[in-house]
Amino acid sequence: MNLALQAIASGIATGCVYALVALSLVIVYKSTDVVNFAGGELVMLGAYFGLLLLVWLNLPYVAMFVLAPAAVFALGALFDRLTLRRVAGRKLSKHVDLVPYVVATIGLSYLLKGAVRVVPYTEEVRRLPPLFSGPPVFAGDVVLQRQDFAIIVVTAIVMAGLWLFFGYTLAGKALRATSQNPRAAALVGIPVSTARMAVWGLSSAIAGIAGLLLAPKLLMTPDMGSVVMLAFAAAAVGGFSSLPGCVVGGIALGVIQNLVGVFISPQAIAVTPFFVIMLVLLVRPAGLFGEAVVLKKV
Amino acid sequence: MYGAPPRRQFLALGVLVIAGFVLPYLLPDYFLYIGNVLMTYLVLAIGLDLLLGWTGQFAFAHVAFYGLGIYGTALLHMRLGIPFVFGMPIAAAGAALIGLAIALPATRLRTVYLALATFAFAECAQWVFRTWDSVTRGPDGLRMSAASVFGFSVGNDREAMPVIAVITALVLAATFYLVRSKLGRAFCAIRDSEHVAAASGIDVRRVKVLAFVISAFYAGIAGGMYTLFQSYVHPDGLGVWTLVLLLTMVVVGGSGSIGGMVLGVLLIGILPEVLRAAPRGLLVWQEFAYGLILILAIMFMPRGIWGLFTKSRSA
Repeated sequence: MNLALQAIASGIATGCVYALVALSLVIVYKSTDVVNFAGGELVMLGAYFGLLLLVWLNLPYVAMFVLAPAAVFALGALFDRLTLRRVAGRKLSKHVDLVPYVVATIGLSYLLKGAVRVVPYTEEVRRLPPLFSGPPVFAGDVVLQRQDFAIIVVTAIVMAGLWLFFGYTLAGKALRATSQNPRAAALVGIPVSTARMAVWGLSSAIAGIAGLLLAPKLLMTPDMGSVVMLAFAAAAVGGFSSLPGCVVGGIALGVIQNLVGVFISPQAIAVTPFFVIMLVLLVRPAGLFGEAVVLKKV
Repeated sequence: MYGAPPRRQFLALGVLVIAGFVLPYLLPDYFLYIGNVLMTYLVLAIGLDLLLGWTGQFAFAHVAFYGLGIYGTALLHMRLGIPFVFGMPIAAAGAALIGLAIALPATRLRTVYLALATFAFAECAQWVFRTWDSVTRGPDGLRMSAASVFGFSVGNDREAMPVIAVITALVLAATFYLVRSKLGRAFCAIRDSEHVAAASGIDVRRVKVLAFVISAFYAGIAGGMYTLFQSYVHPDGLGVWTLVLLLTMVVVGGSGSIGGMVLGVLLIGILPEVLRAAPRGLLVWQEFAYGLILILAIMFMPRGIWGLFTKSRSA
């Protein structure tokens, strides 16, 4: 029983990271129709930027926590500006929109992974120092790392920030309008392509923050972007359209993954997210919280 | 496209088959190996493109069917003694059958959901290859015995090339007819607009399922071809990386065209060999190079290299 409680408690913390990455994927998908297969590499890059700022530039942790996501923000916005705008602006065929986008993000994913791998510094496996350090906390029989609390707190702050931003600020409302109907948004004076860039930047920054939170718990390698699969599963649970849905999905996935590890077999952990994706889509083709896909006519 | 395929296409196939029988006497082993690899990739890429480029559906499960073809053909031969001529079609049919089982639920899905579901299936399949020790030898990889084709033992590149060239030619010929058939036109109609396709009396769901099944069958055949000239298969080779390689071929060559596939496979298939021959330091740039190529190709050549030479589809 204690084992299960322990698995659930630490699953919630890792689940928060998956939820953050899933948020990053869903925000981009909702507003730009792009499935971002490079999401995991943005997580990885956030972590490496963090390490760079801490170790090489000797910046304080707080400054790093602001600057590293800012760097990932710039990268995401740049990718949208340089690549996606070109792909989107080309009205070659109205229908097969998704395929070129996905190919572009897969390209970005390998570009980033490859770029990090050629840096000799990343050959050695490294670890980012945690946000809160100190001895683990005992709650009854359950042991929690301090970093787990940091993850939960930062995730909650990011979510609250997103909720305030999208719900109560002019810029956030403009972004929502752009995602619902770009043409109408343009008509009321919203700079649509700048809005898309901002969304890409914002989503990338969230992925970067997730990387900073995750890196102290995992070993850092150029392949740590594979965490994106768990985020995809979380987003699938959320139906790729509901932000609260993918938070629920992320936390559920963190817990399920740990429970599978404890009760079924540690070998099965690797396949859990894929199994969840297939199961969810089999039962509800548009995800548990999703709306039905509206196919673009003609 | 409709009517009989032009004669020059069959002429090209004739040249391919003759080359397959003659080149083993002329070229060193290494070049024969590359030739075999390229022909296998060509069958794989065409199968992937039938779904991706012709029907406009995400087909991220392709490598899984390839793996089923490899393990199926090899194990049928090693465990049950079924020779290649029967084993490969059985394995390919098995891959197609599993493709059918996947397609029936998957064709209910669209866009991102389809992409995720097929991707998830591919990862699950790779996990099974890696974990099912008693059958696939798991992470140790499977050593395959030499295949037997019509009583001849085929175990190296020199012996395999004629067989592989004949299979490739047959697959290409079948594809020439397929894309010009009613079914092939239905593929394109669905890619261009599901609504219009449905309104013209095409059973969209059925055609999509068929596209999945045919694509899986192609991948299964390619898997069988792999067993002819390779002696070892490892689950790590059946993952995302292979998918990215295939995607690069399809995108760079020009999706939705057979000529584009040939170009893409030639260019991208040779690239790792070029990188390997180059100074040692260059090989680490492989991932970066493929990523960059994918991005640049999708930015500047939306219809691939083939598209640069042919007139716009809409014109």
